[in-house]
Order: sequence, then C-alpha cells, then structure tokens
Amino acid sequence: MDNYINDNTARRYKAHVSIFGTTQLFLKNPYIIAWWSAAFPGFGHMLLSKYLRGYALFIWEVVVNIHAHVNSSMIYSFQGNIDMAKEVLDTRWLLMYIPVYLFGIWDSYRTTVDMNKIYLLAEREEHRFNSFSLGALEVNYLDKRNPLLSLMWSLFIPGLGQLYIHRILTAFFVIVWLVIFYYYSHVQEAVVLLFLGKVKEATSVLNPEWLLFIPSHYGFATYDSYINTVENNKLFEKDLSKHLIENYQSKSFKILKGQKVK
Amino acid sequence: MIDVQLFSTFETTGFLEMAISTLEKKGIKKESIFAVPLDNRAEERKIFDNLHRSDGTSLIDIGMGLATAFSVIGASIGFKLAWGPIYWGLIGAFVGFVLGFVIRLFLELVIKKKKRVLKGIHSEVILIIDCEESQAELVEDILWSHFALGIAKVK
Repeated sequence: MDNYINDNTARRYKAHVSIFGTTQLFLKNPYIIAWWSAAFPGFGHMLLSKYLRGYALFIWEVVVNIHAHVNSSMIYSFQGNIDMAKEVLDTRWLLMYIPVYLFGIWDSYRTTVDMNKIYLLAEREEHRFNSFSLGALEVNYLDKRNPLLSLMWSLFIPGLGQLYIHRILTAFFVIVWLVIFYYYSHVQEAVVLLFLGKVKEATSVLNPEWLLFIPSHYGFATYDSYINTVENNKLFEKDLSKHLIENYQSKSFKILKGQKVK
Repeated sequence: MIDVQLFSTFETTGFLEMAISTLEKKGIKKESIFAVPLDNRAEERKIFDNLHRSDGTSLIDIGMGLATAFSVIGASIGFKLAWGPIYWGLIGAFVGFVLGFVIRLFLELVIKKKKRVLKGIHSEVILIIDCEESQAELVEDILWSHFALGIAKVK
C-alpha cells in the first residue's frame, strides 16, 4: 500500500519510496561516479540506482576478469614484474574486456550529467511522490538515519549499511558477491592466521586474483551507504517542510502580540 | 476564556510531526497550529554529516576513492613484502583515505571561501500553538516531550 498513486501528472518525479528501497535523484559529481565504474564496472550505475545494467556490468567484470587474469596481471604490474604481467594474460578472453570496461566508465559519467539536469528540473517541479510503502514483504518510509552508522556497518560487512537505509537491491547483491569473494580469496583464513601471527602462511593461503576484488567492494559499499543516508535525510526534511507548509499555515491564524509569561 | 500562544522551535525530525499529531489528538485545532520551516544559513562545511545536519558536500568522496585504489595497489605489492597483502592492503586503504580526506579538506577550507560558523543543533522550524490558557500547560508538556529546542508562552 502506498500513500500516493502515481497518475503520471508530473513531468518528472524526484523520488520514489517503494518496497525495495528509496530511489532518489540528487546531484552527484560525475567524476566520482566515473571513478567507481573504473574501480569496478557496475558500481557507478548502482550508485545511480540503475541496477540492472549495474548488475550486468558487475557480473561481466567478474567472469571476464577471472578468465583473462586481468587482476593477476595488475598485481604483477604493480610489483614491477612486467614479463609475468604479459605472460599471465589469457588472450582468448582479453580483448573483450577493454570496450565494456571503458563503456561502463563513459556511460556512468554521461548518465550522471544527464540525471543532474533531470534532478534540477524535478526539484523545481516539486511534484508529490510516493513516500510511504507498506506491503506483505517489507515496509519502507522516509526517515532520518545516522550516516556514521551506515559507514560503520558497511565497514564491518559491505551491504549492511544498505540494509540499514533500506537499499535492498544493493544490499542483497553486495552481500552475495562479498561471500563469493571471501570464499574464493581465502581472505578470512588469512585473517585468522594473521591474528595468530603467522604472516607468511597468511600470504600463501590467499588467492590474489579474488582478493583484488575486495577493496573496491568495501569502498563502494561504504561510499554508497553513506551518501544515500545523507540524501535520504535531506529528502525527509524537505518532505516534512512541505507537509507543514501545506497543512499548518492557516490564513485565519493571528499572532498574539502579548507579553512573554512564565 | 483567555487565549495564549506558545512559540517553540524544533529540528526537522519525526518528533515534530508526532508533537503536532498529539496536539491535535488533545483537541488543538489544525487552524490553531502554525508552522514555519526556516531556511537555514549556509554554514561551514563539516567533516562528517550527521543525523541533524548534512551539507551536501561529501568529505569522504575522494577519500573512499583513493582508499580503494591504494588498497588494491598495496595488496598487490604486499604479496612481495614481509607483512603480506592484507596488512599492506589495509595500510593502503588508510593512507588513501587520509590523503583523499586531506585533499578534500584543503579544497573546502582553502579554495572555497570561508563561511561563518554555526555549530551544533539549531532550530529548523518555528511552531506556534494557539490555545486556551487552561490547555497551555498540557501543550507545553507535549512540546517539551517531543524535543522542542525552546518554548515561550505569550499572553
């Protein structure tokens, strides 16, 4: 059940609260979005709430990267071992990597620029949007949350910050892939060994290719949950202000010019 | 019947709506409630946004980006180093974040003009309640219990 049935009377809407999350247009820096696409194809689009293409690019990245051994090549390159960096790449998979990778960066940049314009127009139009959703599966509503808590939960397990602010589609996707990355990289085994002080063994147990997916996963999840918490809070404030202005500014109200008493 | 008016200020939170709803339930008419959301003065950028306040500039954006980049590089080189990839990955993330944060802070504090500081929680909505004197105490209690920042009664 929603509190607003969309009758398509707006030219543009600036937000939509649904069972799966709060989708919202707000100003974003296109370079930052492009950077997340460069860190991991798909992340830029997920920041823009364009989930399907975000998922597609992400899954494509994992499959092609692992088969072409792009991550391994990156590791060798950073180590200065250029011969091995060339050697490890599988040319049967390699070339298809490049255009899609660049497309992800370019497309998320371009989309951010466009959506910023759309946001400004939608913000000026100020049309009513759905701000409450109650259903059999979930409940979602505008609310204020603490951005630092989003940050904290995301740093514990990426995806929890998104659950905190009801960004179900990102939360689910990020957590599922985190488990896959954890498992194949053996990173948790390595962490246990580090706690025991066995640094050499910890290094040897790791799978470098899979490990390299993890930093961007953490970075993205933290950034996404943080900025969305902040923007959801701002949306809540604007929504409440509008409600007050529409309902609690009666023309017949007279200010009493008396004296302040205890 | 003597009328009084209670002036109060609030932050824009759910408690404000709760307060109004409770007042209406106690018999205060909608027309006797007057709310004015304030446009707050632009303030100096804060390091972190919090529940009460956020200013649109994300001070962590460059930091998170660089943390990710440095972490990947740190973890890669870490395979060759004594401490291994996890420690170096974390060190990389930390260094990257601090570096990005310092860059952003520099941009905000030095490049952009300094604005006047306005710290802490501040009033975002003025709420005026018109009621009979006999109800004034009840109204005041309701306002306080919903975290009004300040209240004045005028007679």
